[in-house]
Amino acid sequence: MTRDRDGAPAPAIEAWEVFRQEKDGDPMRHGGSVMAPDAELAAHYARELFGRRQESVRLWIVRRGDVVDLDDPDLLQPPLDRSFKKPGGYVMRDKLAAARQASGQAKPKARSR
Amino acid sequence: MTSPPPMATLALPTVALDALLRSMADDEFVVGFTDSEWTGIAPLLEEDIAMSSLSQDELGHATALYGLLAELTGGDADALAYDREPADYRHARLLDHGRGDWALTMARRYLYETADAVRLEAIAGGRWSPLADLVAKIVREERYHLMHVEAWLDRLATGSDDTYARLTTALDELGPDAGTVFTPLPDEQALIDAGILAAPMRELEDRWRAAIAPAFARLALPPIPPTVDPDSGRTDHGAAFDWLWSEFTMVRGSDVGATW
Repeated sequence: MTRDRDGAPAPAIEAWEVFRQEKDGDPMRHGGSVMAPDAELAAHYARELFGRRQESVRLWIVRRGDVVDLDDPDLLQPPLDRSFKKPGGYVMRDKLAAARQASGQAKPKARSR
Repeated sequence: MTSPPPMATLALPTVALDALLRSMADDEFVVGFTDSEWTGIAPLLEEDIAMSSLSQDELGHATALYGLLAELTGGDADALAYDREPADYRHARLLDHGRGDWALTMARRYLYETADAVRLEAIAGGRWSPLADLVAKIVREERYHLMHVEAWLDRLATGSDDTYARLTTALDELGPDAGTVFTPLPDEQALIDAGILAAPMRELEDRWRAAIAPAFARLALPPIPPTVDPDSGRTDHGAAFDWLWSEFTMVRGSDVGATW
């Protein structure tokens, strides 16, 4: 029994981030957020806001405070030229085509949704 | 699952089936409209959306049940929903207490949803497939309704002295009418003989009382008393329903015969 007889304040209402999967195999995408006092009600509200029209097959509901937030520009936007870390300089298309031809394999089709 | 042999239409106990469908449809219609009174003023925005969505679900169930009743009797679903006098509705008196505060609303929803679950269970798998099939779908939606209201019953019972007091006040008000969901239907034995209803309403009421007793004990809530005046459980609706009726018939009454 957890009844609070001491008049403790009501549980704080906090933000929960909601991720939704539109159909099986799709990535989880951020849908939005809900305000709720606890995980159970957060799940109910997420269901109502992001699932009541059959638009989701799965939801992830995460307390915003539990999200690891990283926005440090020294880590994410370093000032020096890092273009050599980008894959744009390495054109794979022709090499792949040649390798496929050599092995007799066809190009795989786009993944079915 | 083996499907039962099909039932010849001629063998349908029409009078009793009419009463069953009408009671179920009116219950869903009235609880849906009453709960929709929260739209815009529920305790928080998310709950507002949840409550509005739940109300729509109930009205959707009512629409489907009125549709079935209309097919059975050759009537019109909208006319069944909107064109009767208040005295001709057959919903349970449990639903005649007005919107009330949040605790009363949750107490009513808890009592109604748990009772409805027992009733639906006694109809699912019945031999008249139009109703049994519909009930199988309704049950899947009602699962969420039950989860929602059970979460609220827990929170109101254990939240603070104030929420506990509000909840018990609400249960005191609703308790004597709670069992009216199981008011015996005219000629209900015909439904049982036809394999449409699994057990008499009185027996379903006992099942329901047994089903909610553990939660009431765990949350230190007063047990639900015996039903007062059980024979008029689905008649004698009173002033709160007169007001609700005037609300939900207002738009249709403003332009009689209009096509919406």
